[in-house]
Amino acid sequence: MKLRARELDGFTPEVEELLVQRAERVRRKPAETDEENVLWVAEFPVGEETYALPLETLRAAVPLKMVTAVPLSPSHVIGILRFQGQIVTALSLASLLGGRGWREDPAVLLVVDPGFGRLVALDCERIPKPTGLPHALVEEARARSTSAISEITLPGMRQVNLLDLLRLMDRRHAQEKR
Amino acid sequence: MDPLLEQLLAGFVDESQEIYERVTRSLMELEKSPAQGPSFDELARGLHTLKGSAATLGLEELADFAHRMEDVILPLRGSAKPLPATVADAVLKSLDVWMARLRAIAAKGELPELGPSFVLLEKVKPAGAGTPKKKNGAGKNGKGRTAPETPAASVPPPPEVAPAQAPATSPAEPAPAPAAPDEAQGDSWRVTTRQVIALLHEVERLREVRLRVEERRRELEKAILQLDRLGIQAETAEARALLLGVRRSLGADGEEAADIVASMEEGLKAISTVPVRTVLDPLRRAVRDLCKATGKQARLAVVGAEVSLDRRVIEQLRGPLIHLVRNAVDHGLEMPDVREARGKHPEGALTIRVEQQGNMLFIEVGDDGAGLDLEQIREAALRRALVAPEELANMSIQQLHQLIFRPGFSTRTEATEFSGRGVGLDVVRNQIQALQGHVEVQSVAGQGARFVLTLPADLGSSPVLVVRCGEHQLGVPMAAVESSRAARSKDLRVGRSRVQLDHREQLIPVQDLGAVVGLRQPEVPADGQPLLILQAQGRRLALSVDEVLGDRELVIRPLPADVRELPAYQGAATLARGELVLILRPDFLVSSERRAESGLASTRRALVVDDSLTARALHRTALETGGYLVHTASNGRQALEQLRHSAYDVMVCDIGMDEMDGYELTAAVRQRAETDSMPILLVSARDSDSDRQRGMAVGADGFLTKKECVSGRLLSEVSTVIARRKGAA
Repeated sequence: MKLRARELDGFTPEVEELLVQRAERVRRKPAETDEENVLWVAEFPVGEETYALPLETLRAAVPLKMVTAVPLSPSHVIGILRFQGQIVTALSLASLLGGRGWREDPAVLLVVDPGFGRLVALDCERIPKPTGLPHALVEEARARSTSAISEITLPGMRQVNLLDLLRLMDRRHAQEKR
Repeated sequence: MDPLLEQLLAGFVDESQEIYERVTRSLMELEKSPAQGPSFDELARGLHTLKGSAATLGLEELADFAHRMEDVILPLRGSAKPLPATVADAVLKSLDVWMARLRAIAAKGELPELGPSFVLLEKVKPAGAGTPKKKNGAGKNGKGRTAPETPAASVPPPPEVAPAQAPATSPAEPAPAPAAPDEAQGDSWRVTTRQVIALLHEVERLREVRLRVEERRRELEKAILQLDRLGIQAETAEARALLLGVRRSLGADGEEAADIVASMEEGLKAISTVPVRTVLDPLRRAVRDLCKATGKQARLAVVGAEVSLDRRVIEQLRGPLIHLVRNAVDHGLEMPDVREARGKHPEGALTIRVEQQGNMLFIEVGDDGAGLDLEQIREAALRRALVAPEELANMSIQQLHQLIFRPGFSTRTEATEFSGRGVGLDVVRNQIQALQGHVEVQSVAGQGARFVLTLPADLGSSPVLVVRCGEHQLGVPMAAVESSRAARSKDLRVGRSRVQLDHREQLIPVQDLGAVVGLRQPEVPADGQPLLILQAQGRRLALSVDEVLGDRELVIRPLPADVRELPAYQGAATLARGELVLILRPDFLVSSERRAESGLASTRRALVVDDSLTARALHRTALETGGYLVHTASNGRQALEQLRHSAYDVMVCDIGMDEMDGYELTAAVRQRAETDSMPILLVSARDSDSDRQRGMAVGADGFLTKKECVSGRLLSEVSTVIARRKGAA
């Protein structure tokens, strides 16, 4: 006897749609989320482009409020804020990237650990979503890249710019020194 | 090594270090005064304790070594003359080797040779002094190993040894101090530094909570006052009685919390801090040795040696302080004959002043020598290619002083034992920065130099006056606030480039805080505007602020590394609602007049109006790249206030803002004669023809969506709107 999906009678069309989508995701999982073959990243928009940073560097996403502006600071510094008892600098990501346009005024701060022993916060237009990038593509893009950004072209020609926070911060320090 | 012995050894190293410091101090005192009295007793007792404790732990060669030092010192007891310099030198050097050997044993490192020290001691040993003690005459616990020739009756027993714990060889023999087996005795616990630090942080948090409770009480008080003012006494009687009760309870809770915090801080201080003397005393030895080696004369005066500091900070300060003191002797002080020729005392004065203000620590190392030689600094910078000649030519005195902190900088052309290797002040600065502090130098040619180290201290809070400037709250350390008053035009002397205040029959410069921190163009204080009379570094200044919000006890924390180098701020503190307030540096404020005079007057100015912090940052980045001086406002009302006092070449304005949106602001700006032709560029997240048309209709010159705001595009659009206005004119 052929197995048939259980009848979805009794659900509203929205719930039905949701369940169908979930089922679809579960069916797709083995191919796209193999832990060993993907780099988990936090993906978010900056203007018209999509950026990502390794999920392991992300400590928290907090609302962009209670930030104290620091007069006389470099222009990429949005201000300072308290995060878990520490004072953390909030930086403008678009400014660090050399002046990008944006669609919505950022409302979120991503608290990240770039790997030099202290946290910094980066502004972000929306709460990022976790997603997996194929390792092979990541490695290939990183090998090609000469900057803090590795451009990864995913199937369907969707482009994600993977950020290397250490290099991004290094570049900023270099700019400040100049 | 036996694990128990290993544990005891760690304690013995600490104990010996303390004795080593006491003995060194005594030796240096006895070089200048008769070899008798309490200093000699301290010296004899110290050597004896080192000997006895070493023997107790089975460290035969160290016990023997201490014994040899005793042989040199003890026969001199009671002499009316000071200790001969050769004797003091030999024992000091031997003590160094003794400590080094003990540390090496504890660390299982390479052991320094003892032979040369033995030879040195033998050379200075007075005739007829005792011979080296036998090495095999000791029992397991050191009994019977102390030298019988020790004039025991004249050496008081070590005070730290209880009779029951100090079995002496004979009634006449003072007992050696055992290495205290604290753990075994059960009256002390071993805790890790990490655990103590964690506790320190918790107490810091508790202090902040306590301060917030106090703030809540004040807010409640304001609310009660407001209720009183409403004049509906009968209707609100019950509520007011309740609130008064809560206020009383909050006050009592706050006081109790303050007591707990104070008591915990006191306890933690006892555990985690040691007097700064422990790091300063050895410097006397360094000064002495360096003077002997260079032929200079110096006297080191220490003020504030009893201030207690975190052990970790003390450890980190040791190197920088030694370096600064050596530098002062080697580079700063002149030779005695030169000093005399210059009308100075042949003995140079070195001063170390330690002061804790609230939770900030200031350490000043000063000398009355020749001061920094700017010509030598310039030559050295060129010789070592640290800066380009054209850059050097344009440097201010302060910038030249800063060059001495560059890696590789040295004015010496040849390396000596003490300097010239170009390794030094940059390391000092790095180490102070690692402690989240900073170092400054001040110098007057011919009169001397002083280095000021500013560091955060872990415990304590500082009184701060919180003021408002535009939308910003800023703190001014109360230590710098002499008084405050309201501005009155009859007391102001307004010149073309400066404003002065006639204050108590003195004219003092007036600065606008908003201009000092780059928020707006300088404004002459209006009648009634608050003025703070500040004093720092011997200078006074009247600082005009928009509002005085009140004084607070705040815990000042260092700023994060990205903004720590800004000279304007000492740190930041948390206010009652959890927001941070920046604490200004008084020395930065009082020197603001000179900076203002040297500022550029011809820069193009832009006003950015946006309620988004990040949008303001992005516009500022783009406009500064194009050479604009950028001021910002977070709403329309504030922008109009800025425009009332200052002229701008262009205004970049967001549309979607609360209170007054960009259209309304543009219309308001166009109605004022002073700004009716100012170029205005509207920027919006919205992108529709109707928005553009509405913007143009109210008087904007251009319209850009935020996604188009890449830096090049914003700048070109700004240029376009400016050109369009000029063309129209």
